[in-house]
Amino acid sequence: MTPVPGPHLTPDDLDAWLSGALAPAAQAHLAGCPACQERADTEREIVAMLGALPLLSPPPGFADRVMARVRVPEPAAVGTLTLLRRRAFATRRSMAIAASVLVVLLGSMAGSVVWTLGHQDTLAAIGSWLTTQAGQAAWLGVRGVASNVIEQPWFTGLRTLAASPGRLGLALALTMLAYLGGILALRRLLALPTQQVAHASA
Amino acid sequence: MARAGREAAYRELIRRYERPIFALLFRMVRDRELAEDLSQETFIKALNAIESYRPEFKFSSWIFKIANNAAIDHLRRRELDTLSLDGSPHAETPEAMQATALQIGARQESPLDAVEAKELGGAIEVAIGRLRPEYRACILLRHVEGRAYEEIAEMLDLPLGTVKTYIHRARNELRQALAHLKEE
Repeated sequence: MTPVPGPHLTPDDLDAWLSGALAPAAQAHLAGCPACQERADTEREIVAMLGALPLLSPPPGFADRVMARVRVPEPAAVGTLTLLRRRAFATRRSMAIAASVLVVLLGSMAGSVVWTLGHQDTLAAIGSWLTTQAGQAAWLGVRGVASNVIEQPWFTGLRTLAASPGRLGLALALTMLAYLGGILALRRLLALPTQQVAHASA
Repeated sequence: MARAGREAAYRELIRRYERPIFALLFRMVRDRELAEDLSQETFIKALNAIESYRPEFKFSSWIFKIANNAAIDHLRRRELDTLSLDGSPHAETPEAMQATALQIGARQESPLDAVEAKELGGAIEVAIGRLRPEYRACILLRHVEGRAYEEIAEMLDLPLGTVKTYIHRARNELRQALAHLKEE
């Protein structure tokens, strides 16, 4: 009788065998050991029986019964408004304060509308001055960035490259390829994991 | 509008997990009405505490953990007698295991077992029902729900080695309990 190589399979070995990852040495033992083969076959049968157990469903209307007892929270803004309204109408004093705040708010809004209608020339002058100032600031910014770029050591190389359309095209193509490669790599990295459990999504 | 959206999301979560949660609880407590009550309790607890859910963990792990706790709490309250062929799961030596082991056949199949077996589908279900709850939870999560050992350890708040031991012992008990089928 040929001696069987190595020790008998451990429970961890059986797990590895069930998932198809048994080490070659243990595999060699399994091939020659009837006791381990029988044990492994039985384990596989049990795991198969467990995997084939029927899916059980709760009675119909389960979700409705759960939802009837779940507190669905109000969105934050709605909750704050509800709280403010409740507090504003709590006492006479709070109602008076709320009314005063409302009068001040509406009064200042009405005042600003009236002032705007009566001083359209002033508003137009302010608008024109602001537009001029913004344009000047933007132009200054562009000039600053341009002079900064021109002073960079790599600018001469870039200029030489731009002088040759062929090389420029090649550089643009390479840049696009690198960009697309980056996007693909990011998509793979950010991909959602696949559902591992069939039952959970059933 | 936002409230309606949230309600729809809650319903989708229930739709997705009601079957696996109910199946786990039914096989844990072996009583359909009770399993439904515990399933409801699980979802209500989870959805009412959804703000405390940390998205870096799987939602499924979180809800299975709540379900398992509900089942274990219930079984502890009911002080169910459980049968183990290998003795206490905490026993470290063969002597300790033998000292704490119950004899096979200590629990005869009752008429209720027979009804449950018929409803649940046979000898394997009866054998699962006779496992101690910790083993039962582990083996169901591993081989019925397909969860990884690490995930089960996280769900049940157990060390990874303990989960592996429970699953090996559970398979061992199932093998012994189902041996007669092979002999027939």
